[in-house]
Order: sequence, then structure tokens, then C-alpha cells
Amino acid sequence: MLLQQFVNGLSLGAVYAVFAIGFSLVFGVMNVLNLSQGAVFMWGAYVGLEVVRNLALPLPLAILAAGIAAGLLGVLSELLVFRPLQRRGANRWMGMVGSLALARILIGLAQEIFGTQVVRYPDNALAGAAIDLFGARLQLLQVVAIGVAFTMVVALAALLRFSNLGRAIRTVAFSESVARLVGIPVDRVRLATFFVSGALAGGAGVLWSLLFQSVSPFMGDSILLKGLTVMILGGLGNIVGALVGGLLLGLVEVASIVAVGSGYRDAIGFGLVLLILVTRPTGLFATRETKRA
Amino acid sequence: MIDLFEAYHNVIDLCLLNSVLAYGCFLLLGVNLFSLATGGLMAIGAYLSIWLTMQQGWAFAPALLAAAVAASLAALGLGSLVLRLRGDYFTMATLAFTEVVRIIALNWNSVTGGALGIFGIPKLAETWQLALLLVLVIYLVWAVRSSGIGERMRAVAADELAVSTAGYDVAHFKLAIFTVSGAIAGLGGGLAAHLNMFVAPGDFGFLRSFDTVIAPVLGGAWNIAGPVIGATLLTVLPEALRFSAQMREILVGSALLVAVLFLPTGVASLPTVLRRKWSI
Amino acid sequence: MASLTLSRRSILLAAGATALSRSLAFAQSGRIAKIGLVQSTTGGSAALYGIEQKQGIELAFAEINAAKTLKDITLQTIHADDGADRGQTVNIFQRLIRQDNVVAILGPTLSNSAFAADPIAQQAGIPVIASSNTAPNLTKIGDFIFRTSVPEDQVFPTVLRYAVKTRGIKRVALIYGLDDALTRSAHDVQKKAVADLGLEQVGVESYQRGDVDFSAQLTKIREQKPDAIILGTLAEEAAAILRQARQLGFDSKVAFIGCNANISAKLFELAGPAANGIIVGAAWFAGFDSPRSKAFVEAYRKRYGTTPDIYAAQGYDAAYLLAEAIRRADDVSNGKLVRDKLASISDFEGVLGRFGWSVDRDATVQPKVLIGDGDSKVFVAAPTS
Repeated sequence: MLLQQFVNGLSLGAVYAVFAIGFSLVFGVMNVLNLSQGAVFMWGAYVGLEVVRNLALPLPLAILAAGIAAGLLGVLSELLVFRPLQRRGANRWMGMVGSLALARILIGLAQEIFGTQVVRYPDNALAGAAIDLFGARLQLLQVVAIGVAFTMVVALAALLRFSNLGRAIRTVAFSESVARLVGIPVDRVRLATFFVSGALAGGAGVLWSLLFQSVSPFMGDSILLKGLTVMILGGLGNIVGALVGGLLLGLVEVASIVAVGSGYRDAIGFGLVLLILVTRPTGLFATRETKRA
Repeated sequence: MIDLFEAYHNVIDLCLLNSVLAYGCFLLLGVNLFSLATGGLMAIGAYLSIWLTMQQGWAFAPALLAAAVAASLAALGLGSLVLRLRGDYFTMATLAFTEVVRIIALNWNSVTGGALGIFGIPKLAETWQLALLLVLVIYLVWAVRSSGIGERMRAVAADELAVSTAGYDVAHFKLAIFTVSGAIAGLGGGLAAHLNMFVAPGDFGFLRSFDTVIAPVLGGAWNIAGPVIGATLLTVLPEALRFSAQMREILVGSALLVAVLFLPTGVASLPTVLRRKWSI
Repeated sequence: MASLTLSRRSILLAAGATALSRSLAFAQSGRIAKIGLVQSTTGGSAALYGIEQKQGIELAFAEINAAKTLKDITLQTIHADDGADRGQTVNIFQRLIRQDNVVAILGPTLSNSAFAADPIAQQAGIPVIASSNTAPNLTKIGDFIFRTSVPEDQVFPTVLRYAVKTRGIKRVALIYGLDDALTRSAHDVQKKAVADLGLEQVGVESYQRGDVDFSAQLTKIREQKPDAIILGTLAEEAAAILRQARQLGFDSKVAFIGCNANISAKLFELAGPAANGIIVGAAWFAGFDSPRSKAFVEAYRKRYGTTPDIYAAQGYDAAYLLAEAIRRADDVSNGKLVRDKLASISDFEGVLGRFGWSVDRDATVQPKVLIGDGDSKVFVAAPTS
């Protein structure tokens, strides 16, 4: 049973990680918490669903469509909320209120268009497939989820490290004024960052819906909290930390259910966060945190 | 007229209560602290006051006092642990606190009734009490802000490092403010519990904390009228837009977004913004 | 900002004009009984049940108004959605009673909301009939509170006995939703029934509202090798559990026993073939063989294009009961009179069958045991041995 639970936790954590990476990216670059990320997660799931259900296109295309749509929604939050607020010199907290308002609009729209009820992805090749290994049943989907999480992190880390865009992003993250001084198109970099983060959230949404066969307009609410928790565990703005934090949270949650029962599951996650913050005030992976927070 | 009041009685009560709670967060925003501990502190105040009025037969006022004291003690304890954390880490820690309290309440069936909650709570909170309390709180906050304490708060918000280098004990100062805000939250919790005859742990989670701290931000984090304006707006908007049924979420979100974009320093700045626009 | 205000004003004007014209039209032809329809149509899974009840009630009222059963009285519903937020339910009740002057209220959807808002109706002397509140002690709030939703303790023991008799079950595991009054009380009833029948309880797992991942709990249960798993869950979670149990490779001989709330077309939609064989008990199901029930199902299908679930049926019966009470009272504004007439109804022939009120103003119906047929996506009556 231990192996089974380990896999359960790991695949759950993988989805948390994919979501949190996008969250962390925006925070790391622009020092803002985009609270519409949960709604974007949900919209990604719905777009993927519509593509599969109504356009009868194969799953990989649906995931691509979901990622693009979600990325565009991420861009929307920059254009509609964060950029105007920055221009008008609003404080950081206004960004939170604004992105939350945007989230409400997105959730309301989803309710209107798709209805309030839970639906699911139609049965597909991935759904039932599983391998039996040492008494544990590994679903193909679980393996795929874990694979996607690792791939995303590696890809993103490589992007940030080696590509021109990545270099530009890192410069903007360090200081926007410096970036402008060296001629980096800061506005476009910001858009790119929001696009990537949105796409990641949307992809996580599709993964989640496939793993748990459930899509509803409210699925983004709880993931937002998890994303925040993962960011703290992994360090605000730290990409690799988001992966480790996500996997850790997934494992901790499953372990708590096994040991104590579902009732205290979230309390243990938050308790862990409190413990870490009290003993290591900058999270598990303290990197260049001096300018953050 | 009376009927109109009765029809919206609960809405008015909620506006008053939420405004009181908003001032608690307002104080903290004044020293750059974005706290999400309100829900957890409210829960402590609420459940204690319920236990006192229902099981121990206490009168309302002493029960409320006890609620405020208990919550301020909790705030004291929490504050000493987490106030040294910087900005967003502090916020996360307060969020973790609120959620842990909520989950304990969710599971502690014998005391809090667990998920089923407690019903049949005597409706002891009256509109006049809430109104009086709000007036009191506004006066106190105004008095503090106009005094030397207020000056020091603004100084800390502007440059904490400079203030502490100048020899002031910033840590203890922030702790004191946090404790006071905790007392307000506890008081609010006790009142909320005795308002709708029923409580459940879900009332005191992340959402409650967020709504409370958003109110002064929306209204204007540095304007004394900010918390009232923000709390009233957030309470009344869903009610006023009730006719829109399905579209309501979209309309509420849009209204808030518009408010945020056109009044980025808070809704309380509306008169100033209008004056500036019209004088041109 | 200006354009927003304008459009809002015009919407208000339009709404006001419509309401005015409607009431003018009716004022000429007779009396209007205004009835509050407080059902959640947003706010998560509550909406699932709220929408069904709203539709059932509106169908009933349309039929009654068309047949002129109440002669010159027309039944008019004022719907308000509380978004499954009981603070709003309280606001709604106050508005409906003080401003709209309703003579009765049908709802609310959630028991939690009922606990908060019903006292207001009780104090004001307005009768309330709920068709989806199943928490214990609800009607103890006062004698103006009625329920057509059959509580779990009237249904589950029969179901469990059937399952034990036909499947020889000895070891059971229970899984339930921690933070919902409906699932919690269902679980309490189930636990008691298990103890009463002397079965061995090998595991109890819980989850929280909104959870979609049950792999951890199911894996734990699998280790204990139970003969049956008892679900104290809402329809959506039941579907997820059934599916995930199949995916985790549960023995097909393991029986799944559900509760009242699982009876919904949603269950089959979400679970598919995994729902095959689930045993539930209910006061009613769509295939119920009675002329009244069949007529209702057909009318519902014609109007809404879907098959009604038990909540729609309970709402439909609540509406008819209320209409009958108003007919007997021959009054559209005296809440107390309507309430007294309502309580006096005893042999009511409804969609659920023949039933009357218990001493606590709950519905009393004969429970039926049902088995899920995943391929045809319906529940069928269990073969009685």
C-alpha cells in the first residue's frame, strides 16, 4: 500500500507543481500575486473539454488549445489589471483586489456558458490504462502527470537560463528600471511571462480534470490556496522550489489522510508552512530573496 | 419605512459588522501589514462567546469582552512568532493560522459541533449595538491616527529601517497594534455568532479573512473612511445586484474591477478624483 | 463608470415595468398568492439540487394555474438564489417576507441555510416547506417548518438490510463528507444502522467539500478488504469514488451502498458503467410505477428535456401540498391560516406515493430499494426476494 500511496501523492503533487510554477514565475518577475490564476486553471480545463467534446479533436490538441487559451487569459490579467494599476501608482494590494475581481468575472462567465454542474472529460485512451507494479496500481495518467511536471520545470529552467527571452525575464525580475536602461522591451517581457504562467495553469487544469474526472466552475478556488502554500514551501519566486514544494505538498496531504484522516489534511499542510516560516523565515529554498517580500 | 428597514435589516447589520472588522485590518495596513488572521481570531472569539452565553449562562457584554481578550491573547502569541517575517511571508503565516483554526473547529465536534455547526444561538447582537461600536471604533482609530502613535505608524510604513535605527522598538510597536486588531476581530467574532443564530467553521476561513482585509484596501487604505466604504460596498453589491441572477457574479466582479481601475487609491478618493477632473 | 450606471438603471426600469405590468394584469382577474422560491442555482453542488427543485416547483405551479384548481387565485413564484451562502439566505428571507409579502416559502436548498433563515419565517408566521433539507432536528425550529424531503433514517436501514440479505455482507467500510450537514447526518444514520445490524466496521474515511481525489482514502480502504463500501456523499463525489475505486482495481464483488443524495442522473453521467450495481434507497425514483409519478416524469421531460431526480419530485409534491393548503384556506396573505391548513393535510396522493405529515411535520413515505444500472443510466427497483 505504501507504494500506491506514494504514487498517489506524487501525481497529486505534480499537478500542484505545474500550477504553482506559473504562479511563482509571475511573482518572481513582477512581485505580484495573480489571484486570477485559479480561474485561469479552470478555464483551461473547460477549453480542453470543449475541444475534445464538441470539436472531437484528439487529447494532445486539446491540451495545446487549453494552454494557448489560458495563456491569453493570463495576458488579459496583465493588460486589464496589473499594467494599468502599475501605471497609476497603485499599491501592491490593489493588484490582489483587481485580480480577484477578474477571477470573479471569469468564474461567472464559466457559470453562464458552461452551467454550474460538474462534468467530465469523455472516456479516452489514457483514462483506464494502468500498470500493476509490486502490488500497486499505477495509472498511466498518474505517470503522465508526474512526467509533465518534471518536463515543464526542466523546460522552463532551460528557457530562463539559456534563451534570450529567459535572460530578458531574469533581468526584468532583478529590476525593471535596469532592464529598461539596457533596452529590454519590458512590457513585452511582462506579457510573455503572464502568457507562460497562464498556459501552465491551464495545462494543470486539464491534467487535474483528467486525473480526477471532474470539471466545474469552482475547481479553481481550492487550487489557489494550494498554490500559495507550495510557493511558501518552495520559496517565493523559485521555479525549482515550486516543483519540490508541489511534490512535497502532495505527499504530505496523502500521508496525512493515511495517518490521521482527511479532516486534518489541510491543517497539516498549513501547520508545516507555519513551522517552516517560523524556523526558516524565507522558505525552504532561500535564494536571492533580499529584494522580494 | 419600518418595513424597508426590516426587509434589509440583516444587510444593514452585516455592513456595520463588516465595517468594524475592516477597521481592525485598517490599523495593520497602516504599518504595512497585510494580515489574513482575521478569520482565525474571529473564530476564537465566536466559539468562546457562544460557549459562555449558551453553556455558562453569561450575559452578552461580558461574553463579548472575554471574546475580545481571548482573541487578543491569541494575536499576541501569533504576532510574537510571525511579525518578524517579511511582507508576503507574514501574510502567508497569518493565512496558515486562520486555516489551522478553521480546521480544528471543523473537527472538534464536541465543542464546535464540527461541520454541522451550532444552531439555536440567541440573537443578542442588536443593530444599535453594532452602530455604537462602529462609531466608537472610528473615533478610536481617528484619535490614534491623529496622535503621536499615528505619526509613528506612518513613519514605520514609510521606512521601517530608519525608525528602528532611530532607536524605537518597532517590533513591540507592531505587536501592540496586532494585539489591538486581534481584540477587534475577537469582538467581531462574538457579534457575528450572535447575529444569525447559527455558526459553522466555514464562516471563519480564508474567504472571511480576505473579504475583511480587502474592504479597507478597496475603500482606501490610508483614508479613515476607507474601511466603512469598502465594507459597505462589498456587502451591498451582491444584494443590490440580486436581480441579475445568473449574471450576478460577472456584474459584481466587473463593478469591483472598474472601481479598482478608476480609483486605484481607493473608493474614498472619489470626491478628490472628481474634483480634479471637473476643475480641468 | 457612467455607462455601467445607465445600463443598470435601464435593467432596473425594465424589471420594474415587467413586474408592474404582470401584477396589473393579474389584479384585474383575481388574487395572487406570492410564494418565495428560495433555491440555490449557483454555489457549487447545491445548485444541482436547487435547480431540480426550482424546475419541479415551477412545473407544478404552471399545471395548477393552467387547470385553475385554485379558481381565482394565481400562484406566483418569486425566485431568489442564495448561492449556497446562508448569510444571503437570511437576507433573502427578510426581503421576501417584509418587502415582497410572500405567504409561504419553498426552500431553502441547504440544511445549513435553513437553520439560519427558518427562524425568521417562524417568527414572522410564514410557513416554509423544504424539499431537500435532511439534517436532523430541523423541524424543531418551529411549527411553521415542514419537510417533504424524506430523512435518511427512514430509508437507509431498509437498504442496508436488503444488501446484507442478498449479498451476505459482514465487513463494511464507510466514506463520507466531513463538512456538509447532509453527508454528515447521512453518515451518522449509516453508522448506526451498521451497528444495529451487527456488521463489522473495518474503516471510516472522510473527505471535504470540493475534494475530487479519493485515491488515498480508497487505497486505505482497499487494504481492509471490506465486503461493502457505504457512501455518505453527494452525487458528484459518489461518482468520482465509484470511478476511482474501479481504477484502483477494487474487487468487482465489493458492493457499493449509497445514500439519498446519490440518486441523480448526474451519478450516471459522471460515473458511467462504474455506477453499475450501486444500491441505494429512496423515497422515489424516476421509474416508480404509479400513474401520478409517471405523469409527472413525462410532463417534466416535456418541459425541461431531462429526467427529474428525487429533489424535483419532492419539490413538485411540496408545491402541490402548498397549493392545496392555499385552496383550503382560500386566502393569499394569512400565513398562519395557510400553515394550519397545510398541517391538516393527511392522506396526500403525491408523486412520492401516499403520505402525510409526521408529528414533527416531516414526510412519511415507504422507502424503495434501488439498484443502479450503469448501461441504461437509470435506477431500477431491486428485486424483492
